[in-house]
Amino acid sequence: MYGRGIIAATVLGALVVVGCSSGGSSSSTAGGAAKKCIASVGIEAPLTGPVAVLGQEQLHFAELAVANDNTANHTDITLVQGDTQLNPAQATTVTQQFTSNSAIVAVVGPAGSQEVEAVGPLMARAGLPFISGSATAVALTAGKYPTFFRVVSKDSVQGPEDANYIIYNLHPKALMIVDDQEAYSTGLVAAMLPIFKAAGIKVDHESVSQKVTDFSSLVAKVTPAETVVVLPWQIAANAQQFGRDLQQEHKKTVIFGTDGLYSPGTFTISGSYVSSFGPDITAIPADAAIVAQAKAKYGSFGTFGPPVFAATHVIDEAIAAVCKAGQTPSRANVLAAIKKTDEPTSILGQPISFTSHGDLVNGKFFLFKIDSKGNYHLIPG
Amino acid sequence: MGFFFQELVNGITTGALYSLIALGFSMVYGVLKLLNFAHGDLYMVGAFIGYFVIQWFGGPQGLKVPVPLLLVIMFVLSAGLVGGLGVAIERFAYRPLRDAPRIAPLITAIGISFLLENSALLLVGAQYRVYNTPDFIKFSSGIQIGSVSIDSVQITVVVLGLALMVGLRLLVNRTRLGKQMRAVSADREAAEMLGINVNLTIAATFFLGSALAGVAGVMAGLLFNQVNNTIGFIAGLKAFTAAVVGGIGSLPGAMLGGLLIGIAESFITGYLSSTYTNLFVFALLILVMLVRPSGLFGRAQLQKV
Amino acid sequence: MSLDPQPPATGPEVGADEWVARHAHRREYLPSWLGVAQRAVERVGWWPRLALVALAGAALPALGLGGFQVQVGIDTMEVALLAVGLNIVVGWAGILDLGYVAFLGFGGYAFALLSSSQLGGAGVHLPAILSIPVVMVAAALLGLLVGWPSRRLIGDYLAIVTLFFGEAFVEFTNNVAPGVLGGPNGIVGIDPIHSFAVSLTSNVSYYYLLVIVLVAAMAVLRLLENSRTGRAWRAVREDPLAAASMTIPVNRVKLMAFAFGAMVAALTGTIFAAQQISVFPTDFDTPFLILIYAALILGGAGSIAGAATGAVVVMVIYDGLLRNATYSGYVFYLLIALTLVAKVRPWRRLGVVLAALVAFGLALRAIVGAISASAVAGAPASTGWLGTALRDWVVIPANSTGAGDWGYVLLICLLIALVQVKGVWRTALMVPAIYVGAFVWETKLAANPAITREIMIGAILIVMMNARPQGLLGTRRVEVVT
Repeated sequence: MYGRGIIAATVLGALVVVGCSSGGSSSSTAGGAAKKCIASVGIEAPLTGPVAVLGQEQLHFAELAVANDNTANHTDITLVQGDTQLNPAQATTVTQQFTSNSAIVAVVGPAGSQEVEAVGPLMARAGLPFISGSATAVALTAGKYPTFFRVVSKDSVQGPEDANYIIYNLHPKALMIVDDQEAYSTGLVAAMLPIFKAAGIKVDHESVSQKVTDFSSLVAKVTPAETVVVLPWQIAANAQQFGRDLQQEHKKTVIFGTDGLYSPGTFTISGSYVSSFGPDITAIPADAAIVAQAKAKYGSFGTFGPPVFAATHVIDEAIAAVCKAGQTPSRANVLAAIKKTDEPTSILGQPISFTSHGDLVNGKFFLFKIDSKGNYHLIPG
Repeated sequence: MGFFFQELVNGITTGALYSLIALGFSMVYGVLKLLNFAHGDLYMVGAFIGYFVIQWFGGPQGLKVPVPLLLVIMFVLSAGLVGGLGVAIERFAYRPLRDAPRIAPLITAIGISFLLENSALLLVGAQYRVYNTPDFIKFSSGIQIGSVSIDSVQITVVVLGLALMVGLRLLVNRTRLGKQMRAVSADREAAEMLGINVNLTIAATFFLGSALAGVAGVMAGLLFNQVNNTIGFIAGLKAFTAAVVGGIGSLPGAMLGGLLIGIAESFITGYLSSTYTNLFVFALLILVMLVRPSGLFGRAQLQKV
Repeated sequence: MSLDPQPPATGPEVGADEWVARHAHRREYLPSWLGVAQRAVERVGWWPRLALVALAGAALPALGLGGFQVQVGIDTMEVALLAVGLNIVVGWAGILDLGYVAFLGFGGYAFALLSSSQLGGAGVHLPAILSIPVVMVAAALLGLLVGWPSRRLIGDYLAIVTLFFGEAFVEFTNNVAPGVLGGPNGIVGIDPIHSFAVSLTSNVSYYYLLVIVLVAAMAVLRLLENSRTGRAWRAVREDPLAAASMTIPVNRVKLMAFAFGAMVAALTGTIFAAQQISVFPTDFDTPFLILIYAALILGGAGSIAGAATGAVVVMVIYDGLLRNATYSGYVFYLLIALTLVAKVRPWRRLGVVLAALVAFGLALRAIVGAISASAVAGAPASTGWLGTALRDWVVIPANSTGAGDWGYVLLICLLIALVQVKGVWRTALMVPAIYVGAFVWETKLAANPAITREIMIGAILIVMMNARPQGLLGTRRVEVVT
């Protein structure tokens, strides 16, 4: 008889406790460590949902970067997670959460170009700098988003470079190009199609959703004249299955993939080409320590982790620079420090600095060929 | 002509897979009138179990047991464990809602779907797990008829699928348990009054339906190679579609619905356009529904006054 | 007493009819003072209740809510509006519409096309006072089109056709006519809601707009609920054949349900598009539909207040609290505490369980600590007073990820066992179950807040449906299953 009353009292009491404690629950730092550089960095990534495999990899590399930089720079940077599920509306909510949190001075992400479009104005209004490790749409750095940066090249660089390589090195008379109905993919296809058409190659433009896992029907459509199939996809495992289906139906078509397919543990179809905005960090001696750490903690990784590592590192260094100048990290001074970033070398094997619109200066592309054992070999030039 | 038959082969294979999942879905609907949205996630659990069995026996390149034995173990283990999981879910989540309006168990099923998907993400991680079937079932072991290549995995899937469907039909029509299942689907209260142990029958139905989903999961792993925690959602949707288009509650209908969807997808991708595959498949299915409002094999619903 | 026939009784017979009537009336309400409160609330009347809630909602931003809370408020009210619209189709007319989110998308995209630079050269930039009614009318027509199969299809067969429509919408906007609809890149740069020189640009202004729109929609629907149309919907839901024999035009009534539901969804879509300044195909996919359904059914299908309440509960927890790591911890422990308090009777037993729990934890930690120091070297993930309280109670090893996985599996098994056993065994099993639950939280779940959020909303849905299948404000219905 008293039951529901007791329940109501418990709930009220708990709420009171929560309310009182959350007022003082901010991490109480010991007064003696006043020298420490304290800041929070947010990460917006698809941590759950259909592309969780990409988001979780990005999160792991961001955590690695923060841990390494905290030790190296004697800073106290905390990573705050925000799950967007690659959905722009959720990205807006997460961004509002971050902009309202005054401790957050910079954000890594979001992962998708649509999400950047959705949150760009919010970030600009809050003066919050954000660096993406995977948003490649060309329109993002047209000047609309003054606090946006990216550590990867845009589609207008990767698309034409890949298309030209295919035309002049692989000489196909006809090819099939399949997009995965995401903005990253359709952007690349839009950049490549005119070049193929101008070179007089017969193009079969197909399209499958990322959720499709069976490509046997699509593979059956590949004609013998189509010697190359271009897969600008995000999910390497899907491309691996496509390649298996090609083998099963005894088709000799060569797969040409873009950076989404760069995943030495997952995509291993012999004879394929993969172009990537990041080099094979396992082949860069300077990255050996990071590679070992990543492999030990998280197993195999692909192409989405290292750029996020680079982005997080840029932010960490900016915060450290601000603290070294004697200031407390704030959005304004961290933004200024990021703009002045000039790292001679990075995990991506190239220097990092940004144009006035936020693009990576001299973003390079690397082309790899896969041998019969599934190893990636860098094609020079 | 070779292209036509190749697409037909592909369509029948995927269709057999969809049929299996749809069968389990339809069975559960038959006894409980419940749209079990968590069915696809049981399929996902089955696929993961198959993966871990392969890893346990040395991985796709270093198998310590012969392939037929491996397949048997995968199927049996997956069927058993996923069946058990299904029974537990029924006991835990659906039994208290037996007499509630139909929409309440729908939300519970959605909750279970969230739980299963994200528990898999938490425990196994987001990385796609790969069966690497061609490493232990070589492509060369398939059949080649002209330009049409049929993989031995595809043959296994179709043959096993057919065998299971025939077996299920025999079980439902010829055994006592089947008769009890039919009685409970027709009228649960009357069945109870006749002395049928309704709880046990429903549990058995769930076990069988979930076991079928588990076997379908292993088949999908063998066919499509990669498994991760999100494959259940699409599979569940296709199962739901196949079961309803075939006439919900009807087992031959579920089989036919699955085959129809698989073949339609294959041919539409091949002959029309891959971009609009889904749109065309939907249009086709809407047409089927409008022509036969109770599904292909469904009985016209009696309206009681 | 004479044996002659008695004249008929002139009123309820004391000792018989009156007592039964009063007892049944009393049983509709919760016991003791809660029932008194319920009756008082009911005496206030529906309209004053709506006014009070509207005032409370409008006053919230003034209490100093930050940008995030305002955003959560906006999301909540959009879902509430959608749930209230879905209530027309599912709760009142009894039609399972699995493609409802496509109407939301239609509203969003239509508004985007009419209020941005997408169409033609400079685009069409209609003021909201023109574009919103146009969009709503168009959506009503679309609703009629989608509802047309309901002439031939019923129940789950109609559900699947609506599901196709919902999925087809996402495919359509993603792949068809990318020049007009934007493809996967959607439409960006949508005008804010503006007319007569008033332009809503800040988030707070959209919050207030949504309060006004939600209250207006609820008022209109209340009037509809008590009208002939509302009664016709309820009749068709309960028994279409009987309704038809009472001269209710069943087909037309179903179409009206679709049309009204579509209009409400499209209205929400326009506000959504304006507030987000962009629309993308993935904004309107099936997971969002699931959220709307969860909100509606949790709150009680068939009741306007229930739909709105369910939306508030679901969205505040899912989109608000669970996005914050600290609050997630509070929600988790609060739920355990609530379940104990609600389910364990008598009070003595609850006291015994709590005492045993504390003792068990301290003892286990001491024993494990004595055996191996590294097994208790870790720290709990919770911070503040909760972390301090748990530090000496939960066994947390230094390297906890693997242990967390096994703990999770063990927890699932213990929970299933808890449901199976009865009596003393159940009480005894509660202690290790709660302890393992806390262990798993501190080691594994709190370290993965995004995944935990999904798991917790799933668990909350299951538990709430089991506890109250009719929803928070719903009434128990008996469905006639044909």
